[in-house]
Amino acid sequence: MKKQTLASLLAAFMLNLFPGPAPVRRAEAALSSAQMVELLKLVDDRQKNNGDWRAAAYLEQKEKDKVDTVYETEYFRRSSDQKFMILFTKPKSSAGQGYLRIDKNLWFYDPSVGKWERRTERERIGGTNSRRSDFDESRLADEYDPSDEGDDKLGAYTAQKLLLNGKPGQDLAFPVIRIWIDKDTKNVLKRQEYALSGRLLRTSYYPKWKKIYSPSKKGDTWYPEEIRFYDEVEKANQTLVLIKSVDPNPLPQNLFTKAWLESKSR
Amino acid sequence: MRAWLATLGVVAQIAFRNLFASRLKTIIVGGIIFFGGLLVVAGNSLLDSVVASMSRSVIGSVAGHIQVYNAKSKDTLEVMGRMMMGDPDLSQLDDFAKVRASLLKVENVKSVVPMGISGALVTSGNTIDLALEKLRNAVNARRDAKTDGERAQAELQVASEKGHVRQIVSVLQGDLKNAKAVLDERTIDPADGAAVNRAASDAFWQDFDKEPFEALEFLENRIASQAADADLLFLNYIGTDFQAFQKSFDRMKIVEGTMVPAGKRGFLFAKHVYEEQLKLKAARRLDQIKEGTENEGETIATDPDLKRMVRENVSQVREILLQLDAAKTVDFRAKLQRELASQETDVGKLLAAFFQTDDHNFRGRHDFFYKELAPSLELYRVRIGDVLTIKAFTRSGYVQSVNVPVYGTFEFQGLEKSTLAGALNLMDMVSFRELYGFMSGEKLAEIQALQKAAGAHDVSRENAEAELFGSKATDAPAAKAPRRIEATTTPGVAPVMHDLGESLGGKLQREEARSRVFPSDEVERGVVLNAAVILKNPKKIKETIVAIEAQGKQDGLTLKAIDWQAAAGLIGQFVNVIRIVLYVAILIIFLIALVIINNALVMATLERVKEIGTLRAIGAQRRFILAMLVVESIVVGFIFGGLGAGLGVLLVTVVGKIGIPAKSDVWFFFFSGPRLYPFIGTSNIVAAFAIVLLVSAFSSFYPAWIAMRVTPRQAMQEEE
Repeated sequence: MKKQTLASLLAAFMLNLFPGPAPVRRAEAALSSAQMVELLKLVDDRQKNNGDWRAAAYLEQKEKDKVDTVYETEYFRRSSDQKFMILFTKPKSSAGQGYLRIDKNLWFYDPSVGKWERRTERERIGGTNSRRSDFDESRLADEYDPSDEGDDKLGAYTAQKLLLNGKPGQDLAFPVIRIWIDKDTKNVLKRQEYALSGRLLRTSYYPKWKKIYSPSKKGDTWYPEEIRFYDEVEKANQTLVLIKSVDPNPLPQNLFTKAWLESKSR
Repeated sequence: MRAWLATLGVVAQIAFRNLFASRLKTIIVGGIIFFGGLLVVAGNSLLDSVVASMSRSVIGSVAGHIQVYNAKSKDTLEVMGRMMMGDPDLSQLDDFAKVRASLLKVENVKSVVPMGISGALVTSGNTIDLALEKLRNAVNARRDAKTDGERAQAELQVASEKGHVRQIVSVLQGDLKNAKAVLDERTIDPADGAAVNRAASDAFWQDFDKEPFEALEFLENRIASQAADADLLFLNYIGTDFQAFQKSFDRMKIVEGTMVPAGKRGFLFAKHVYEEQLKLKAARRLDQIKEGTENEGETIATDPDLKRMVRENVSQVREILLQLDAAKTVDFRAKLQRELASQETDVGKLLAAFFQTDDHNFRGRHDFFYKELAPSLELYRVRIGDVLTIKAFTRSGYVQSVNVPVYGTFEFQGLEKSTLAGALNLMDMVSFRELYGFMSGEKLAEIQALQKAAGAHDVSRENAEAELFGSKATDAPAAKAPRRIEATTTPGVAPVMHDLGESLGGKLQREEARSRVFPSDEVERGVVLNAAVILKNPKKIKETIVAIEAQGKQDGLTLKAIDWQAAAGLIGQFVNVIRIVLYVAILIIFLIALVIINNALVMATLERVKEIGTLRAIGAQRRFILAMLVVESIVVGFIFGGLGAGLGVLLVTVVGKIGIPAKSDVWFFFFSGPRLYPFIGTSNIVAAFAIVLLVSAFSSFYPAWIAMRVTPRQAMQEEE
């Protein structure tokens, strides 16, 4: 735990030494720590559902000199106990495979062999460059400590740029993140995700945001309709996620169980 | 002719006389030539013997005499380890039956073995995960039981697995108590402690059968996650036709289990991998200590490696404790108390004391372990008869898993101890093809249809920000949409979600897929990556390579053929490197010899000006002087080179009888067994003589030239 804190600090130090492109302008007054946490809470809150969530997602992985890898999936989540599940529906060869998160366990199930395997948060979903957390509710305020990096221009948008360092004891796909939040809407527009060493691993873009009324939240829940991941290690690789249909209604109680995922292929 | 012979006789006589006349020169020159001759014969013979042995290892274990693969491949084929990480990028050979038919048309080809070499990570959970998996399978079997008999058997299995899991939980409870004693209590999550206490309670196990799946989820998610990380196992394997493989590589023998029957899915572990990677670590360490003390003359008291193994066995008894259920714990306690004459009741402490071995008690403890304790333990993570699940990212990028039954273990005779020869496991060709994941036309069409339906378009990395954020998006219709329950957000894409109760793939025929017998046609006609070719006459490798490639062209196949040495990759190159080093050493020695001999002869010639002048005065022609000196050198070369070569022959013959022992597992491979028995090649003796005579003759030219210019007048002047 202590090791991770030190490593996070080191990574933050390195990123501060080499902060990437200079911001367009410094904020008139840098945000206080409390203001940054408030901002992250707002970002989280807009995406929160406070209930069950079901959505269909299309995943496409492009790699150099390879045929594209494509999946149709459905993913499910429950805010109350942070349970989460991805079920692959197409192509035929992958139908019935799935990931199930219960507490701190992330399981992968392959119906062709009837086996469950323990995976980590670093798992590349179906071999693409997406991670489980990309589909989950945003919990940035709980998982990261922010620091202000001023304002930045992203095309026609002006974004608040923050550097986020993973809090100790969290099992995170990326321990350090740079994030660009649209100043007007508070939607996340861009993320850069780093390893503990400070190496840039992935750049993500969130160009389209949609909202849907959630009966459990009794308000609107925002979700990205399109996410594009650019691999910064294997530069030729990129991943596209399209979230196609969403359903914020309550789901059956027994859904987030191994037995349910097994039953889809029985 | 007679006169010429007479002259030669005189020249030879003078040469022999001079050998003794200038002894120092003879010793210096002869010594160098002697050593050169010895090195050429012994060095080359030794190297030839290694090459011959290694070729037996490579040819006999995996490569065959020739390997054939697709000439369109980006990488070259290397069947035994690569310079680069990962699998080589090889294009597939679509139809093995066609390839084989083409190869068998080449006269020297005896047999062809289909192959594909790859590797995959086999993940198994931690010990608790594995125990819970067995319990879940037993509970599933009880649920699916169709007859009373099946139900009763499943019930017994459930009870047995429950007992094991319960015992593991009690070990975990003990660990937690110990952790609390040595760690700050705040670093231990109280929820973890509470979960373990719940799982250890009688109430939990009494209620287990009321909601078994709920109880299992609790154990899997709250208890198993507290155990240390699971072991990862990386397996390299050759996909092949077992029967053809065994027939062509006749050094292969089954050690445990049986051969995979024709047409069945199956996996054979290389014995070396099975022992090194799958055996219970404590047992493996006992084996290694025994090997070290009995076969290699080491002692626990003096050898740091053996000491370390004893230490590890003492400190790592947990892997054994986690295997014990209540009955086995009682049994182990009684046996260990008796063996150690101890009153200790903690089995962990008893085991630690038991493994505290020294040179005096080791053999007894080793035998006791195998006789009394091992029969109650799972000595191997995967047993013969188990089903192994192998998961790989296929060439098409998708995750593919297959279940293959483990039929046994195998090794190659004479190469039992070689890591190199024992690194590759064997898998049936059908499973290999599935894991390698060749993209079928049907699947490609399915992917393209999915892409089309999704309406996805590419955005290049360079233009991403401009294209995605160039202008602000107007409010999308969904943002203003009525408060409906389900939103279809991407225009043109219909809701795609399924009925939650619907099954996705229909009834999956796992058992059927595992036990099905594949018709030989299906195995034969499929895709392979490479093929091993065994020849009738192994001496004609080069000619056969040319013939194979020509025949391939004629049959419309793009075949690339390489010999076993090229196919062995890095290992094959190793011999070439040694040969180059030897040749360079020989070259340097003879260059030095050339200079020294030359100098010695020049000196000797200058000392003999009087003699040469006298010879010239009594009518010796310059030709005679030249011949005299050259013959003198050749005689030195012949005698000392001959002696050197002779000693080389003697040395190699003697060593050839005793054998050079292989000191490590790598040398087992190069020696193709525990000892190398070097042999003499006639060509090496001939080469030694040729080189020695050439160098001797060549080094005498300059001194002879000086001698030829000596006139009687000069000789007389020198005298004055």
